[in-house]
Amino acid sequence: MEVQKEAQRIMTLSVWKMYHSRMQRGGLRLHRSLQLSLVMRSARELYLSAKVEALDSEVSLPPALPSDPRLHPPREAESTAETSTPDGEHPSPEPMDTQEAPTAEETSAYCGPRPAKVSRKRRSSSLSDGGDAGLVPSKKARLEEKEEEEGASSEVADRLQPPPAQAEGAFPNLARVLQRRFSGLLNCSPAAPPTAPPACEAKPACRPADSMLNVLVRAVVAF
Amino acid sequence: MIPGIGTLTQDTLWCFSQVKGTIEIGTTEADIISTVEFNHTGELLATGDKGGRVVIFQREQESKNQVHRRGEYNVYSTFQSHEPEFDYLKSLEIEEKINKIRWLPQQNAAYFLLSTNDKTVKLWKVSERDKRPEGYNLKDEEGRLRDPATITTLRVPVLRPMDLMVEATPRRVFANAHTYHINSISVNSDYETYMSADDLRINLWNFEITNQSFNIVDIKPANMEELTEVITAAEFHPHHCNTFVYSSSKGTIRLCDMRASALCDRHTKFFEEPEDPSNRSFFSEIISSISDVKFSHSGRYIMTRDYLTVKVWDLNMENRPIETYQVHDYLRSKLCSLYENDCIFDKFECVWNGSDSVIMTGSYNNFFRMFDRNTKRDVTLEASRENSKPRAILKPRKVCVGGKRRKDEISVDSLDFSKKILHTAWHPSENIIAVAATNNLYIFQDKVN
Repeated sequence: MEVQKEAQRIMTLSVWKMYHSRMQRGGLRLHRSLQLSLVMRSARELYLSAKVEALDSEVSLPPALPSDPRLHPPREAESTAETSTPDGEHPSPEPMDTQEAPTAEETSAYCGPRPAKVSRKRRSSSLSDGGDAGLVPSKKARLEEKEEEEGASSEVADRLQPPPAQAEGAFPNLARVLQRRFSGLLNCSPAAPPTAPPACEAKPACRPADSMLNVLVRAVVAF
Repeated sequence: MIPGIGTLTQDTLWCFSQVKGTIEIGTTEADIISTVEFNHTGELLATGDKGGRVVIFQREQESKNQVHRRGEYNVYSTFQSHEPEFDYLKSLEIEEKINKIRWLPQQNAAYFLLSTNDKTVKLWKVSERDKRPEGYNLKDEEGRLRDPATITTLRVPVLRPMDLMVEATPRRVFANAHTYHINSISVNSDYETYMSADDLRINLWNFEITNQSFNIVDIKPANMEELTEVITAAEFHPHHCNTFVYSSSKGTIRLCDMRASALCDRHTKFFEEPEDPSNRSFFSEIISSISDVKFSHSGRYIMTRDYLTVKVWDLNMENRPIETYQVHDYLRSKLCSLYENDCIFDKFECVWNGSDSVIMTGSYNNFFRMFDRNTKRDVTLEASRENSKPRAILKPRKVCVGGKRRKDEISVDSLDFSKKILHTAWHPSENIIAVAATNNLYIFQDKVN
């Protein structure tokens, strides 16, 4: 349990650092983002393995009420968000290509190929608190961002159980996003990604196993 | 005693020489020194700071009257190298912080150096002017044109002495070639080209051409999701103009030969040490990232710095370093706290002495460490105002890792992690070192008998 808590704490801290790094002068630093994502991955792996061990040991025990409502963020809300977001997706490869893709690279360093639907609208900086300076604007990313601003820990906590409760905490949205992303992978379902994948991960249904890092990285770097 | 050679702790006593900078309690961030570099003769010492300024110190001529005191470094020139910029396309501010300064070898009376921020490299010419023309025929002494009707005789201007003035002028600006943040620049031994490296690419420039550069390394994956490592430092071989190395965030070093192909994505040599499973921890990956790589003056070895160690590699052996020095291994159990306060991301540099027998790197609490490669002795010294009496001998410091703390030792928990020495420089031929401690520059020399 301690291990889980520590891993949660590290993940939350990492998410906060990634968010904060967008605010600093000079823009998003690729090396720093990579290092933070590596720590996130390690924390996540540690958390998951501890969680699996805990669940194994609880198999014989009666199911306990979740002590933390954050552990059960709503699935329904997520799937709704997922289906609604692609329509408002923003940044496309085209404008970024004309810019020789520095914007794309810096802003969504770990984002996959963009979906076909493209909008050249640029989100106003006011909506992003100035923190998106380095990122390609994306309605989808924004929604994800709002989601991602919530506690990662609350989300990551419950990958293996469908979460009904409302997420709370520092970054409940991130928690939801992470869970949405990872649940499919954890269930060993390559088709797990929702039918309307977010802008930053228009991945094919079949995903290589080691893209778990990529998914995680995208989730936290996307904002 | 041959400068730079000798057993470190027995024959070499380091003394305080000078300190530059203010003693204010609240340090302005712009004054934080971000790079330090001696020129090839050691006559000049350049520092760059976060405010985009470059300050050059010049060593005064040694006087025969004061044989016990080597020449001191005094301010020679100060100029604003880089200004903050704004990339309107990406809505990003470009910091003016000077990331690196590299001197060119002197070929005439003027001095040339390269300075770089995150995006732009500039070639600066620093020259002296100690004469000025006087007695113009058509202009008066203030430069105003005379009334032609008043000119009745011909006067030829003559050069008259004036107070020494040191001018710094930007001769070349190498811009718009880097998408990511520049971390290194390195002058080639041909003195015609240099390279600049960012997180994913390395470009080769000719000093005369500013609107073009050759991309010689590109590790950007086609799909950025597959990014696993970035370039952290790069340097040309000191003698072979076709050879350079670059280090990565995964703790590997690649040596490339530009004769092999135009794009050096495929390395000629690959230096990597297998990870010690007993040292594996949560933060193993990020502390293995190499923050600095330096060729030895001989060109035979490379030295790398990661978060906890300094390693010396023989170019002829790729599978492991020939020497590993623990800089502050007592921090290995504190990595979580260091992650919380961001110290784990600090990028320490490392330097060779002139004879490649001693290596030096910085640590926390304003400590810096020297390792003698021959005797295997090491010493920890501190750059502090308390030890700043002229010619005061620096007393070796020791960190207590546990158990009983001796009187002169400092415990790990008492270390001040806000005082870090990231940048140091060693005179090319003498035992003079420059140590940057936040906004202060300390100069230490070995004791002259």
